[in-house]
Amino acid sequence: MAETSTNSGLLNVRLVTPDRVLLDATAEAVELPAMTGYIEALYGHAPFLGELGAGEVRLHGGTSGDQKFFVAWGFAEVLPERITILAETALRPSEIDIAEARQELEEGERLWQQAGDDGNKYDEANGVTRRAEEKLASAEGRST
Amino acid sequence: MANVLDLRRRIRSVKNTRQITKAMKMVSAAKLRRAQERAMLARPYARMLSNVLESLVQRTDLYNEKTGDLLHPLLLEREEKNVLVVVVAGDKGFAGAFNSNIVKAAQGFIDARRAAGQTVDIEPVGRKARDMFRKRYPAANYEKKEERYDNDLATHFEILRHRAAPIEVAGDHPTLLQKIEITEVSEMAHSIIDRYTRSEIDSVYVVYNEFKSVISQRVVVEKLLPIRKLGSQEITVAEVMSEEQRDAAAHAAHTAGISVNAPEESEFEIESKKFGTAEVDYLFGAPPDRLFRHLMPRYVTTQIFHALLESAAAEHAARMTAMDSATNNAGDMIDALSLTMNRVRQAAITKEIIEIVSGAAAL
Repeated sequence: MAETSTNSGLLNVRLVTPDRVLLDATAEAVELPAMTGYIEALYGHAPFLGELGAGEVRLHGGTSGDQKFFVAWGFAEVLPERITILAETALRPSEIDIAEARQELEEGERLWQQAGDDGNKYDEANGVTRRAEEKLASAEGRST
Repeated sequence: MANVLDLRRRIRSVKNTRQITKAMKMVSAAKLRRAQERAMLARPYARMLSNVLESLVQRTDLYNEKTGDLLHPLLLEREEKNVLVVVVAGDKGFAGAFNSNIVKAAQGFIDARRAAGQTVDIEPVGRKARDMFRKRYPAANYEKKEERYDNDLATHFEILRHRAAPIEVAGDHPTLLQKIEITEVSEMAHSIIDRYTRSEIDSVYVVYNEFKSVISQRVVVEKLLPIRKLGSQEITVAEVMSEEQRDAAAHAAHTAGISVNAPEESEFEIESKKFGTAEVDYLFGAPPDRLFRHLMPRYVTTQIFHALLESAAAEHAARMTAMDSATNNAGDMIDALSLTMNRVRQAAITKEIIEIVSGAAAL
């Protein structure tokens, strides 16, 4: 975790949404919800460009302290001294509307029921469900 | 000749009109400023998204190695038989020729396509475009066919299109322009993509007012699908502003305190162009076809989002210019009426003096 980071360098972190640049800060370590699981990037990380799933982007250390954002789908570019995150949705956990997230969860189940024999539609339904689950987890502070 | 009282009343009424148009102009100027800012803020994301796609295209083959299929249906080019045209106009009037210019450009495009023997679907955005095309063409007829199987546990939907006329109005977005939110735009993009993948339409064009700055705008017809070359706009028809319009717009912007130059690129925007383009071997987490499947719809969404934001800025600019001209015209009218009023009053005084003088002379 961040405490064990021996590198003095700080990462520049930017979080970009379709509407605006949501965050421009520094951090010692950043956790990213990649498709295959969380990855953590420290200063000097090897270049990486990957797709993000639903989950939390967590910033540790840095000038503005620890911060968390819920993101749903995006891309992250990790360079040794800079991380740029492109997120379709990005919210602070306190901004999440829990009732809406529950509705989305039901919507995901409904889509799954209606997917028929179309594999892509199952993927889509699973995506919606997972996003809603992660959203709820993030809002309730039990995201892993 | 009208009497002084009538003229005074008219001047008062024109003055009131001038007050209103002036207020409307200032309101539009404020809204324009906000719309311009929003369009600017949305640029980095769009830029970065297309960078990721470009970078992906450079590194992978667009065809599947084993099957030879295209990696994504949106890249597939078919013979253009059914064309969809998305027409982006405004919700409100009082914007000079803004709405009529767009509708005119769209109608020209539709007529040309029709003459070439293609069928055309119109997807209007904005109340003005919707009202206009709804009046001219019938609405498209869709049937939702539901199949139930597995003992009614699962359902399968199929949407069937019954085409009755060669030109129909498909889709309706009455509230889209009120806030222009990405989620709503995304719904619209997905509906278009669905229609494209099930071959209901073979190409998609967007007619909208492109906005670079107050004095640099044009109505364009842009090709959205199939995606032939990423990151570049394919514009088929464009109508630029005339010199006269440009002068009027420059005057309006000047008096409202808005810069006529295109806003400068922010430092971050320049940086966003580098996103995903570093000369290193990135690790892509997922197989290309999956990445394409996730990226393509978003790419289309941001393209439409971008068109809507620009169109919104252009609409406010057009309204500001129109209201500025109206204010000027009202001012001219007040001057002319005041002149007439003074003349009439003077004539009355002169007449009275002549009457007195000639009365005295007759004594």
